[in-house]
Amino acid sequence: MDKRAFNIRHLPGATALAITCFVILYIPMVILIVNSLNAGKSISVWEGISLRWYGTALQNEGFLNAATTSLILASTAALVATVTATMAALATTRTKSFRGEGTINLVLNQPLMVPEIVLAIALLIILAQVKQITGYNGLGWLIIAHSAFCIPFAYMPIRARLQGMDLTLETAAADLYASRFYTFRKVTLPLLAPAVLAGFMLAFVVSLDDVVMSEFLKSPGQDTLPTYLLGQLKRNLTSEIYAISSLLLLISVLIVAGSWALTRKKT
Amino acid sequence: MDIAETRALRADARRRWTLAMPAVTIITLFSILPLLVVVVYSFLTPGDYGNVKWIWSTEGWFQVLFQRDIFDDTVTLSDAHLTILGRSVTLSLITTLITLFLGVPTAWFIATRPARQRAFWLFLITIPFWTNLLVRTIAVQEMIRSEGLINRLLLWLGAIDAPIQMMYTNFAILVGMAYVFLPLMVLPVYAAIERFDFRLAEAGYDLYASRLYCLRKVVLPQVKAGIIAGSILVFVPSLGAYVTPRIMGGGKSMMLGNLIEMQFGQGRNWPLGAALSLALTALVLVALVWYTRLTTGERRHG
Amino acid sequence: MLEIRNLTKSFGAGATAVTALHEVAFSIAEGEFFTLLGPSGCGKTTLLRLIAGFEPPTGGALVLDGRDVAHLPPNKRPVNTVFQNYALFPHMTVAENVGFALGAQGRPRSEIAETVERMLALVQLDHLAHRKSAELSGGQQQRVALARALAPKPRILLLDEPLSALDMKLRKEMQVELKRLQQETGLTFIFVTHDQEEALTMSDRIAVMSGGRIQQIASPRDLYDHPSNSFVAGFIGESNFLDARCAGGKLFAQGAELEVDHADGPITLMVRPEHVVLGTAQGLTLRAKVETLVYFGTDTHVHLTLPDGARLVARVQNALRGGAPCAEGDTLTVSLPADALRLLPKDA
Repeated sequence: MDKRAFNIRHLPGATALAITCFVILYIPMVILIVNSLNAGKSISVWEGISLRWYGTALQNEGFLNAATTSLILASTAALVATVTATMAALATTRTKSFRGEGTINLVLNQPLMVPEIVLAIALLIILAQVKQITGYNGLGWLIIAHSAFCIPFAYMPIRARLQGMDLTLETAAADLYASRFYTFRKVTLPLLAPAVLAGFMLAFVVSLDDVVMSEFLKSPGQDTLPTYLLGQLKRNLTSEIYAISSLLLLISVLIVAGSWALTRKKT
Repeated sequence: MDIAETRALRADARRRWTLAMPAVTIITLFSILPLLVVVVYSFLTPGDYGNVKWIWSTEGWFQVLFQRDIFDDTVTLSDAHLTILGRSVTLSLITTLITLFLGVPTAWFIATRPARQRAFWLFLITIPFWTNLLVRTIAVQEMIRSEGLINRLLLWLGAIDAPIQMMYTNFAILVGMAYVFLPLMVLPVYAAIERFDFRLAEAGYDLYASRLYCLRKVVLPQVKAGIIAGSILVFVPSLGAYVTPRIMGGGKSMMLGNLIEMQFGQGRNWPLGAALSLALTALVLVALVWYTRLTTGERRHG
Repeated sequence: MLEIRNLTKSFGAGATAVTALHEVAFSIAEGEFFTLLGPSGCGKTTLLRLIAGFEPPTGGALVLDGRDVAHLPPNKRPVNTVFQNYALFPHMTVAENVGFALGAQGRPRSEIAETVERMLALVQLDHLAHRKSAELSGGQQQRVALARALAPKPRILLLDEPLSALDMKLRKEMQVELKRLQQETGLTFIFVTHDQEEALTMSDRIAVMSGGRIQQIASPRDLYDHPSNSFVAGFIGESNFLDARCAGGKLFAQGAELEVDHADGPITLMVRPEHVVLGTAQGLTLRAKVETLVYFGTDTHVHLTLPDGARLVARVQNALRGGAPCAEGDTLTVSLPADALRLLPKDA
C-alpha cells in the first residue's frame, strides 16, 4: 500500500455538495430581496429597481402597527425571559451538587420538547376562557406566552457561560472581604454580561420570528409582523410582501451579526 | 457534618430555589399546565360555536383515527386523517433524509476549513437558521410557484411549454420543509465533526486502512451522535410543522399541524384538536426517547 | 497568634465518609514563615482552606488572636489567600485587582489608590498598573496575586502552592522574593507545598503532614537532623533505612552491634547517605559489596548491598585528586557513625 499524501479532511464530493447547499439556501432569499426592489406594479414583470414598495410598506398603517407590536412584544418578552433565565442559571450552576438542579433544568427546557403548535393550542384553550372572564384582551397575554418559550433560549448561553466560569474567582472575591452582592456586582456580572446580552438577542429574535403562537393567541385587531405577513399572504402576493419580508430578513441578519460580534470578542 | 454546616447548605439550597422560582413559575403556568388542560379537553364534547361543553366524551379520541357514518353508524377508518398522519410521518422522514444528504457534507465542509475561514462559513449557515420561518417559506414559494424562478428558467430554456404546477402538492411541502430545516441539520453535525480529533483518522490510515474503511470505522462512530441529534432537530419540528405546509400545501395537502389548527377554526371540534395534539406530542416523545436510547447506547459502547 | 485545636474535617457521610484531617493541633507565632509540607492528599490544602474559611470544619476550633473564627465566612476573617491558579479577575486591570479588597471594604478612593501604588512598588510591578491581568506572564500574575492579598494587611497570608506553575528558574527567584517580602512586611505567612527543598529553604518552621495528620513540626534543620519517624525521614532529604533491634542496652543490626540508650524492641535505623563512611570509623561497622557507582559531579553515590540483602547508599564527595572512591564489585567495610544514627519507631 503506497502512502501517498493523504488528507482525511478531503472528502470527495463534500465540497461540491456543500457549495450547492449554500447556493440553495441563499438564492431564494436573494431573489426575495431582488423582487422587493421591482419598480413595476406586477410581481411578474420586472420594471427596474426602485424602493417604492418599501415606501408603501412604511406608510401602511397595518404594517406599522404590526411592527410596533412586534417590537414591543419582542423586547418585553426577551427582557422578562433574560432576567428570569439569568436568575435561574445562577441558581443551577457553580455548585457541586444541588438536588433541584435536574428538575429545574427539565422544567426550563420543557418548551423545547413539545411541538410549538401543541403549546399554541394549549394556551389558546386556556386564554379563551381567561380572556372571557377577565375581559383583558391586550398584549399582556402574548408577552407572557412569548416569555415562556423564550426562556430556554436565553437560559442556554447564560448557563453555558456560568459553567465555564472559573469558580475560584468568586472564592477569591470572598477571601478579599467582598459581600455576596459586591461579588456579584463586581465579578460575576461583568464576566457574565456578554452571555446575558447574547441570550437577550436570541430571545428577541425567537420572539420576533414567532408565527404559530402569535397567530393562535392574538386577539382580534392584534397583529405581529409575522401574523400581518401571513394575513397579507392569504389575500394576494404583492411586492409589498417582498419588501416587508426583506425588512424582516435584514433585521435578523443584523441581530445575528451583532450577537456573533459579541461572542467573538470574548477573551 | 456539624449543625452549622447543614444549616448553611440548606440555606444555600433555599436561596437557589428562590432565584429559579420566577422562571420556573412562568414556564409551569404557561407551558406545562396548559398541556394538562389539553388532556382534559380531549375528553370533552365540542360546543356548538367552538369551545367545549363540559360533558365527558371519548369522541375526540375516537375521531383521531375513525369516523362514524352519519347514516348507518358504521365505524370505518378515517381516510382523511390517516392520509394526513401518513403524509406527516412520511414527509418528515423524507425531509430528514434530504437534509442529511445535503447537510452532512456541508457540516463536513465547514469543519474542515482552516480555522480562520471557519467563522465565515459558520456565519453563513447561521443566518438562515435565525431568519424568520415565514420569510424563508415565502422565499422558497417564490422559487417553485407557477411564475417563480424555476418555472421561468425552464420556460426560457425551452425545456417545458407550460409552467409545471409544483405548489400545493406534497412535493411543495417537502421542498419547503427541507429548505427551512436544512440549517438545523448542519449545526449539530458540524459540532460533532469539529470535536473529532483528525489525528485518530490519520492513525487509522497509518495502519493501512483505506479512506472508506477509515471513515466507516473511525470517523463515523464519533460523528454519529451529531448526525442523530441533527436528525431529531429536523424530524420533530417537521412532524409538527404548521406554517410551511400551510403556505406550500394550501388547503389541499395538509399535515398534522394544519389538521389540528382546523379543529380550532372552521372545524369547531376542540376535543378532536386536543386529542390530535396529544397524538402529535406522543409521536414526538417516541422520537425523543428513541434518540436518547440511541445516544446513551453509544456512550455505553464508547 | 493562630491556635489550631483538634481540627477535624470529613467529607461525605456514613460509610463513604472521607476524613481529610484528624484532630490536627498546633500553634503559629506572629511573623512566622510557616510551611505545610506533604505529598498530595495529605490534607495540607484542606487545612489551608479551613483556615481561609472556604470550608467549615467538622470539629475543633481555629483561634485567631484569641477568637474562634472556625465558623466565620471568609469575607469576615482577616486572612487572605494567594491561589494556586492566581484567580486574578480577568476583566479588571492590575490596579483594580490589587485594590479589590479595599473597595469591598468601602475604603475611600484616595486611600485605595495610595495603597495600590505602595503594593505594586513592593512587588515591582508599578509600570503595569493599567494592564489587563490576562495580558501578563505567569510570574507577573503571581506578583499581582501577592500584592492583591497583601493590600488589605491581613493577619495571616495563605499561599497555596503558589510557585508550582512556574518554571525552575522563575521558581527559585520567587522563593527569594517571597522570603524577602515576608521579612519586609513582618506578616505571618502560611505556605503550602509538596516540594521539600522549597520548604527547607524558605521556612521558619515546617509542619510535615501525611494522611490527614501532622507527622512533625520543627525548624528545617531539626526536621532534617532529627526526624521523628520514617515518613519524615524519607520525605525530607535522602535516607537509608535498616531493620534493627534493641535489647539490653545494645543495638543489633546486620550482624553488628552497638551500645545505645534506647528501649528494647524492634526499630527502624535511619542514616543519611552523606554520613555513611567507606572505611572503618566509630559506630556500627558492616561488610558491604559495591553494586553500582553513580556519578553526580559534586559527589558520587555508592550503592551497596549488605550481608542480608539490604541496600545502603553512601554519598561520597568527589576528591580533587584520586578518582573514584571504590570500584563496582568491591567488598569493603562500611561504618555508620553512632551520632549519625537515628533510631525511629518501627512502622506498623
